[in-house]
Amino acid sequence: MKLEQLRAYATVGIMGILLLGLSIWCWFKPVDSYSDSERRVLAAFPKVSVDTVRSGEFTKQFETYTQDQFPLRDGMRRLKAMTNLYVLGKRDNNGLYLAEGYVSKLEYPLRRPMLDHALERFDVLMERYLKPHGAKVYLAVIPDKNYYLAPSNGYLTMDYDTLFDTVRQSCKDMEYIDLTKRLSLADYYHTDTHWRQERLLPIAQYLAEEMGVTLPGSGYTVETVEQPFRGVYVGQSALPLHPDTLHYLTSPVLEECIVTGYASGTGKPIPLYDLERAKGRDPYEMFAGGNNPLVTIENPNADTERELIVFRDSFAGSLAPLLAEGYRKITLVDIRYLRSDLVGELVDFHGQDTLFLYSTLLLNNSTGLQ
Amino acid sequence: MLFSSIPFLFYFLPVVLLLYGIVPKPAKNVVLLLASLFFYAWGEPKYVVLMVVSILCGYGFGLLIQRTRGTPWAKAALVGSVAVSVSFLAYFKYMDFFLANFNAVTGLQVPLLKIALPIGISFYTFQILSYTVDVYRGTVPAQRNLIHLATYVCLFPQLIAGPIVRYKDVAQQLEERTHTWDKTALGVRRFTLGLAKKILIANALGELCSVFRASGDKAVLFYWLYAVAFSLHIYFDFSGYSDMAIGLGKLFGFEFLENFRYPYCAASITEFWRRWHISLGSWFRDYVYIPLGGNRVSRGKWLRNLLVVWLLTGFWHGAAWNFVVWGLYFAVLLGVEKVWLRRWLERHRAVGHGYVLLLVMFSFVLFNATDLGEAGRYLGAMFGAGEVPLISHEFLYYLRSYAVLLLLALVGATPLPKRCVERIRRTERGELVLGALEPVALAALFLVMTAYLVDGSFNPFLYFRF
Repeated sequence: MKLEQLRAYATVGIMGILLLGLSIWCWFKPVDSYSDSERRVLAAFPKVSVDTVRSGEFTKQFETYTQDQFPLRDGMRRLKAMTNLYVLGKRDNNGLYLAEGYVSKLEYPLRRPMLDHALERFDVLMERYLKPHGAKVYLAVIPDKNYYLAPSNGYLTMDYDTLFDTVRQSCKDMEYIDLTKRLSLADYYHTDTHWRQERLLPIAQYLAEEMGVTLPGSGYTVETVEQPFRGVYVGQSALPLHPDTLHYLTSPVLEECIVTGYASGTGKPIPLYDLERAKGRDPYEMFAGGNNPLVTIENPNADTERELIVFRDSFAGSLAPLLAEGYRKITLVDIRYLRSDLVGELVDFHGQDTLFLYSTLLLNNSTGLQ
Repeated sequence: MLFSSIPFLFYFLPVVLLLYGIVPKPAKNVVLLLASLFFYAWGEPKYVVLMVVSILCGYGFGLLIQRTRGTPWAKAALVGSVAVSVSFLAYFKYMDFFLANFNAVTGLQVPLLKIALPIGISFYTFQILSYTVDVYRGTVPAQRNLIHLATYVCLFPQLIAGPIVRYKDVAQQLEERTHTWDKTALGVRRFTLGLAKKILIANALGELCSVFRASGDKAVLFYWLYAVAFSLHIYFDFSGYSDMAIGLGKLFGFEFLENFRYPYCAASITEFWRRWHISLGSWFRDYVYIPLGGNRVSRGKWLRNLLVVWLLTGFWHGAAWNFVVWGLYFAVLLGVEKVWLRRWLERHRAVGHGYVLLLVMFSFVLFNATDLGEAGRYLGAMFGAGEVPLISHEFLYYLRSYAVLLLLALVGATPLPKRCVERIRRTERGELVLGALEPVALAALFLVMTAYLVDGSFNPFLYFRF
């Protein structure tokens, strides 16, 4: 048999088996409802009706369904990411990049409408709840990981200077606390967006000091979550990454604190560190109620009556416990899950110190702020 | 349905191949026809009727022309066929353009129809026209079997983005075609390589073009990068699609003519158009340019013919002024070449290559612009107009990020890779190694492309809009 003939048989045979094998797998593979690695619900088989077919909606949704339900989806995503980064030499894959052992996502450019929206929300809170009671208001912006990682590695970043200047100028009634020089790349997880609580004690002390409170910061013990922490970028990047280790700080003061969550509108006791959530899909939600619209941390052993209200995002969840020893009560308000105009119905404003603590990531993607 | 999609590759294609393989010979065209109608209906359910009516008209006029051959009725039937086909095209593709310009000139407010363009209408209309004209000319007999004719018009491999297959080129294959392992293997290889051109190169360069358009950090060199990226993008997108069409054709026993022959290696614009979208260029040559007299007329008439053909070519690509100007641009270039430059360019091929690359690149900036104003701004910015800085952070980042891909695309747009493979194949050991590696390499490439489809969302086909 001639070589040409053999090659033809082999080409048709191998490609035929591959195509047919993958097709049969696609057709008969059980449907997955959730992707743990991507932390999202996967598309289900779309509804078939005359309307959906005629409008083309069915075909669009069917395509998404076939992508989401493709056999070995995670492996396929990994193959694509590695081809992009290591064969085609692209600097990022779907906006995610690796540098200095960290994985991060390009946050570029600065989106002025987003920033303006966030500042407008802050202004609403200020005018409605804080100014009438003469509260002392502070504002701190947490630079995201790219601030320390991207420029030195040649990646695009938002215009941080403009962001910080705009925030300062727009919030003249608030006292601005600059965190940029107090943090470094080591304060962030390798595989996640967030900062590491076990490294935040100096930040908490600095913030408190700027707000006129002294935190002794002693008596803390570093605890470790048993499960490896696969940050949000592990799944998004689809790359083979070493997981981080999730640590949290405990102290006798924190153990005595009473934490109440208002996820359902009425207060229920919740743990300061929810170790069950630490085993879940988003382990970082273990801190102070996670994505809870309203959480209070009461410190019965405080030698002060000062209270603090923190308008916050997920970054502040891990920091707030470290401020607890300086206040009788800390109220964490997340206006991503609680409309600004309803905050007054759940929180009693009476001139408490107030801190707006938001990351640059949220300010640049603020559509969720209500 | 896109070739480069999971529904096509893993749902539609395997079923069609299996059905096609198991049915007896007389039913194979029925399978292809039904599959093609389903393929079209997947993206355009409501326009299937329009396509079927077009086919029925073509079929009826074809028979009428044959029956009345030699009488004035044959010509009337041909005129009827052209009128119906062109009317459909004019109504669905150009009506809003005409109305908008009518409103602009008269100041009236005639409401626009806002009709969605039926995918592939320009391609299948031209196929039907070529059929009836060829029947009129006596080049081919009219097809009596409606299934055969319908299969020719809406054969899914070339239905929505070409190549424009002439009836006379496949008339015999519609009735009798061979299926061999060699042909199938060649089809598999051609399809896979076309898919790779589309997914690995065209889609990525398309992303770069989108990034540029959305950028707030443009620079002179970024405009140039965009111009290069889009020129490569449109080539790999369209030639990749043609490769897939030709490959699929082979799987079903058809032989379609080549549509691209390394156009960026041309040394004159005349040569470029002999290598780029060959099926469209030859269609206009055979059905418009030559009937008008071609170049065997006075210089004035010849220039008029050139102008008419290129106006139509531009207009065929889209109902917008930038396409019309794009066509005129090539008419002028071709006229200048034929009158003055041709001989000089033949003697100075190196200069000719640079001249073609530059002028074609400018043409694609115009081609891809949303309107003439944007085209002017982009072309001006390439030469520093508009106070644009020379470089920007974004330009540097994306240049670095796409450097390997751009290099791959530049090399891939030349015959160099093919020549390398042929040289290796000429030796006994090389032939053996390539023979063993090819099936495995194709399978690996196919898996990589599947991975891109699973994780991808950016997947448009440029020529679908024509």
